[in-house]
Amino acid sequence: MGKQQETSTEPETTNPLDPFNTLNTMRDASLQTMYSMRDASLQAWSKLMIDLVNSEAYSQATSQWLDSYLTLSQPFQRVIETTMTQALTRLNMPVRTEVTSLAERLTNVEMRLDDLDAKLDDIQRAIQALAASIHAAGTSAEAKEIH
Amino acid sequence: MLSSSLPTTPAALQSELQRIEEEARTLLRVSTSRAIIAQTPKQVIWTLNKARLYRYIPVVPAEQRHKVPLFLVFALMNRPYILDLRPGNSFIEYMVKQGYDVYLLDWGEPGPEDEGMKFDDYVLDYLPRAIRKLKAVSGSDEFSMLGWCIGAILTTIYAALRPDDGLTNLLLLTAPLDFTDKTSGGFVRWVNDQHFDPDKIVDALGNIPGQMIDYGAKALKPVENYIGSYLTLWDNLDNPRNVESWHAMNTWVTDLIPMAGATYLQLIKELYRENRLIQGKMIIRGERVDLSRIRANLLNVIALADHISPPCQSESIMTKVSSQDQLLLKVKGGHIGMMAGSGAMKYTWPHIDSWLAARSD
Repeated sequence: MGKQQETSTEPETTNPLDPFNTLNTMRDASLQTMYSMRDASLQAWSKLMIDLVNSEAYSQATSQWLDSYLTLSQPFQRVIETTMTQALTRLNMPVRTEVTSLAERLTNVEMRLDDLDAKLDDIQRAIQALAASIHAAGTSAEAKEIH
Repeated sequence: MLSSSLPTTPAALQSELQRIEEEARTLLRVSTSRAIIAQTPKQVIWTLNKARLYRYIPVVPAEQRHKVPLFLVFALMNRPYILDLRPGNSFIEYMVKQGYDVYLLDWGEPGPEDEGMKFDDYVLDYLPRAIRKLKAVSGSDEFSMLGWCIGAILTTIYAALRPDDGLTNLLLLTAPLDFTDKTSGGFVRWVNDQHFDPDKIVDALGNIPGQMIDYGAKALKPVENYIGSYLTLWDNLDNPRNVESWHAMNTWVTDLIPMAGATYLQLIKELYRENRLIQGKMIIRGERVDLSRIRANLLNVIALADHISPPCQSESIMTKVSSQDQLLLKVKGGHIGMMAGSGAMKYTWPHIDSWLAARSD
């Protein structure tokens, strides 16, 4: 116990004739250069792209693209919706609007329940306050009788 | 990713191959799986429609805890677990350990039936109910409220409409409230373009898909978001701490939720375009939102490198409110990094804690 571990403080010896040492040094240097170049080019690219997306031209191009997409896709979407509604009706199944209206009604029911919960909380608090005041009044009356 | 020296012996070569294999597995795992997130113990204490109110299990004895509970309100279009990302990197875990009674409102994922939900509904139907429950559970009539991003819009509106509801401290993080400057930030430019038609988008899509909102946010810094993030992972594959941190953040970033169509319309038209909130012209269910009615102590935290809500959108509220006790805090970092990045625990959380602790007893 108490025996200290000895650690070597001698520097690692390298074989000057080992070709891998030179290769490693060359590789490390080229890797560093590569990383630096990569980071620098990414930074420049990033700045360029940020300027681009903040330009009027980009805003206009994306807005127009989105507008065209919506204009072109809407008729197809409407056809799909109509077809689906017809198919579901024929199959005697609820359609989208019916399901969503049911979900809305459930949310309304939840809200009513929440309101009831709030009222019950109020009633509970009022009862507790009343009980506390009755108890306090009783205690003070008893104290008067003793005196 | 690459080792520092070339393998010169068969054993070294084998070890190098093993390392490469291991890193390839790590890469595959983190890019195809979800990290385990939001691990701070909590319980659901209230629900309404898709919304959930969580109470985090206190770890500090009741007598040592701060008296005023802390209510967290996050944005509508992202999951709120960014506030509780993972153990050791969780704002909620940090605040629970500092002795706060912490509550988090999760708005949930709006369905087609919620297309018509507006700020009015979130502020006047959901927030008051959640706050009522919070008060009942905590036993405190006072509370602190922290809103982040769109959550800050909601909390600001609430604070202005219900100033006598027990709100003691209002904390705003990266709050997009003032859109006077139509040249700051990509969002403002994009949505103010004459060809951008929000009505048409909502008419066609109903709720705004999470992917679309995500594209908008990522497109503000495309190189960083689409390439830089993955290069960071690649460069740090041999560092388990960084890998797990990236995995958790990537899980949150890719966990997208849609935004209710009517709320989106209000956000774009009434806020981004017409700038009604800061001008005191916003009407919520018939009530005008007058920011001068806000009297709660105010901490406004701004991220200096925020490209989603640039500082100019958050600063001016300080002059609009009536709060006697107010502080504008500028911290390092971006919109999300400020609260969930590696520096958050050093640069942001302690400041929030020290400000709030002095006003929570």
